[in-house]
Amino acid sequence: MSAPARHTALRAYLPPAFGLAVLVGFFVAVEIMIQGGILNRFIVPPPSEIIGSFGRVIVEEHIFSRFMLTLGECLSAGVMLTVFGVAGGVLMHRFKLLQQACETWVAAMASAPIVLMYPLFMVIFGRSSLTIVMIGFIAALPPVILKTIEGLSGTRKVLINVGKSFNLTRSQQFWKILFPAALPTIFVGIRLGLIFALINIVGVEFLINYGGLGQLINDLAERYDLAGTYAAICFVILVSVLFFMTLEKVERWLRPAD
Amino acid sequence: MSADASARRSDPILVADDIYVRFDTPEGGVVAVDHMSFDVNPGEFVSVIGPSGCGKSTLFNVIGGLLTSHQGIVSVAGETISGPHQSIGMVFQEESTFPWRTVIDNVAFPLELTGMPKQKRVDRARHFIKLVGLDGFESRYPGELSGGMRQRVSLARTLASEPKILLMDEPFAALDEQTRLLLGDKVLQIQQQLKQTTLLITHNITEAVQMSDRILVMTYRPGKMKRIVNIDLPRPRTSEIVGSEAFGRYVAQIWADLREEASRGMRDQEDHVLHHEAPAS
Amino acid sequence: MAETGRLTHAAPAAPALSPVTLLRIAIIVTVLVGWELLSRSGWLYRDVVPSWIAIGHALFDLLTSGEYYFNLAVTAGEIGAALAIGGLSGMAIGILLGANRFLSKAFEHFLYYLGPTPKIIFFPIMIMWFGVGPGSKIALGTLSCFFPVALSAAAGMRQIDKVIIKVGKSFRASTMQMVWKIYLPAMRHPIINGVRLGLGVALIGTLLAETKLSNKGIGFLIIQAYSIFDMPRMYAMLIVLFVLAIGANALVGRLGGLHTIRR
Repeated sequence: MSAPARHTALRAYLPPAFGLAVLVGFFVAVEIMIQGGILNRFIVPPPSEIIGSFGRVIVEEHIFSRFMLTLGECLSAGVMLTVFGVAGGVLMHRFKLLQQACETWVAAMASAPIVLMYPLFMVIFGRSSLTIVMIGFIAALPPVILKTIEGLSGTRKVLINVGKSFNLTRSQQFWKILFPAALPTIFVGIRLGLIFALINIVGVEFLINYGGLGQLINDLAERYDLAGTYAAICFVILVSVLFFMTLEKVERWLRPAD
Repeated sequence: MSADASARRSDPILVADDIYVRFDTPEGGVVAVDHMSFDVNPGEFVSVIGPSGCGKSTLFNVIGGLLTSHQGIVSVAGETISGPHQSIGMVFQEESTFPWRTVIDNVAFPLELTGMPKQKRVDRARHFIKLVGLDGFESRYPGELSGGMRQRVSLARTLASEPKILLMDEPFAALDEQTRLLLGDKVLQIQQQLKQTTLLITHNITEAVQMSDRILVMTYRPGKMKRIVNIDLPRPRTSEIVGSEAFGRYVAQIWADLREEASRGMRDQEDHVLHHEAPAS
Repeated sequence: MAETGRLTHAAPAAPALSPVTLLRIAIIVTVLVGWELLSRSGWLYRDVVPSWIAIGHALFDLLTSGEYYFNLAVTAGEIGAALAIGGLSGMAIGILLGANRFLSKAFEHFLYYLGPTPKIIFFPIMIMWFGVGPGSKIALGTLSCFFPVALSAAAGMRQIDKVIIKVGKSFRASTMQMVWKIYLPAMRHPIINGVRLGLGVALIGTLLAETKLSNKGIGFLIIQAYSIFDMPRMYAMLIVLFVLAIGANALVGRLGGLHTIRR
């Protein structure tokens, strides 16, 4: 019995290991091609050089305080998203007429390139963290509203009937039945919103050359610090992935078993 | 093949010889079909009945040529099959209509694959749609039809390929009892009208007795042949036969056989739940 | 939708204006009037909230200038190229990952986690690789739209009802017939959805890249309007851009939204 068990364990680990090996192999191949002169090292710095410049970028470029700045912007946008997005969704669900009138507008805004409004925001709010946070907030608002509505109106009919059978008042019905039932979907909306916020915040930092991690990349690129630019990009990608993974974990942890 | 017509008439059209299928699972091997042999004569309606989990569907996939990791031989009109065969038309248990095609395009699908000209295949499809009683719904999409109607579309689609053998795997399992009885009538009527050789896989005793000339009863794991029951009820039959005394006797007899197997299967599942983690929700 | 509506009951003769339409009109009028009042009040910096008359003028000037259409064509071309390259390669990779469990387990989590990361930060690299012209914008758009298309295609491939594949096999469809008549139609919704997401991010990627560094394209015009502080023109351009983006998205959705009712 243990032989097949070991066999299946091996089978489970083999594909990710293979994926990782291919990735490492790719970087080694790039390294070799650069050292061999096949690739231009002034366009693609050798991976070893990128890894070497990680320490320099982290220490000299104050990456920790930049990270905290970007994170702070994200969380500010996140708080606003949660408050206004969920409230907006609840309001639209409560007043059906409002929902019928506006839901398609919100859905349309979800597909509009809101982040392109950043020059406008710069005029209104100046070249500041406020612009960045507002862009992160506005651009990520539609999915939070839509998911809140989806969660509330997706409550199973039988649960609503259970509430009615206990003669719940309107607000009891909302707080004891509708809202808890919609919570998992609302969490999905908030997670999506936070991801959009992060993407747009880092992007705008890069574009307007202000603030945290995004600005660092712009800075290094303008100084033609090639290896540093690559290292900073890797760092930002790493941070985004970790942010994304953490949100997933938190969501799973908060989500009641269903 | 030089024998006279009457001798050829009695030659079985489908022969399953010593079929054996074994699956490897994390908990060891499971024998799904254990050395089963049987044959089906032209125009005959044969049912294979057995408890859930006895390997009926595996048998279905083997005969349909979708599963080829078996031992033993399946032959159609003397030809050994090694994959899906044009003489065998399959109707699946699950919902299997194409949601992106209208009823008529669904039914014309097998004809389209053979490259039949459009006008001809549309006419042919129309004929089979009428046969299953769906005329008027040709240009509807499956999403607009009820479950029973969709299953009739699947049946018409398979019949449109004019198979020598109609092979069905619990085609009515997902339907409610009344729809099931009425659809059973429809199948019986079509089968008698076309003299369609049919092999039906089912776990429903009433359905099997109502339609079959012969019933093969399977055991629970490993899936062996337990008994063959000849159903000597008059034809043409309808669902009204369900009330007759002879019918009741057949049902009781088959239930006596199946009961033992089904309870063995149930105990096995209970054990499985007890000794392994709860099934994933 | 229309079909089910017809099946259940004929729609009653609708009144000239439904409450929903009235509310919509009320909201729009309130916003427009409020905006205009704010603009006239002088509470905000001049031109942050320009009068509708000024925006209307700018809109008219924009839509009647050949220069705008030239830049629109440049951007549309870049987005089209990005969608073609990123979409097709994404679809190919996605189908491969969807069809092969081993490859999916080996590589799909890379795509899954790299998908929602900011792509614009790759722009400096894209400039080094593809120059300051349209090449780097196309590259950024391609990079943006590859991920959603690949992930949707992979998921779509796996979601195909197994029994539908069995039906195709039981009728002895050839490999090409399986691809064209079974696999692709069966995964049309996820693919269209992926293309829709891909179009959205390709548009954003391309335009953002244009605002960062370029000398033509809509993104360039927007940042140019910003640098000379021509707010009405900027509003006009954003309005047109939003209308086009929302319209394109709805169009792609409409193409794939046929016969969605099922079970």
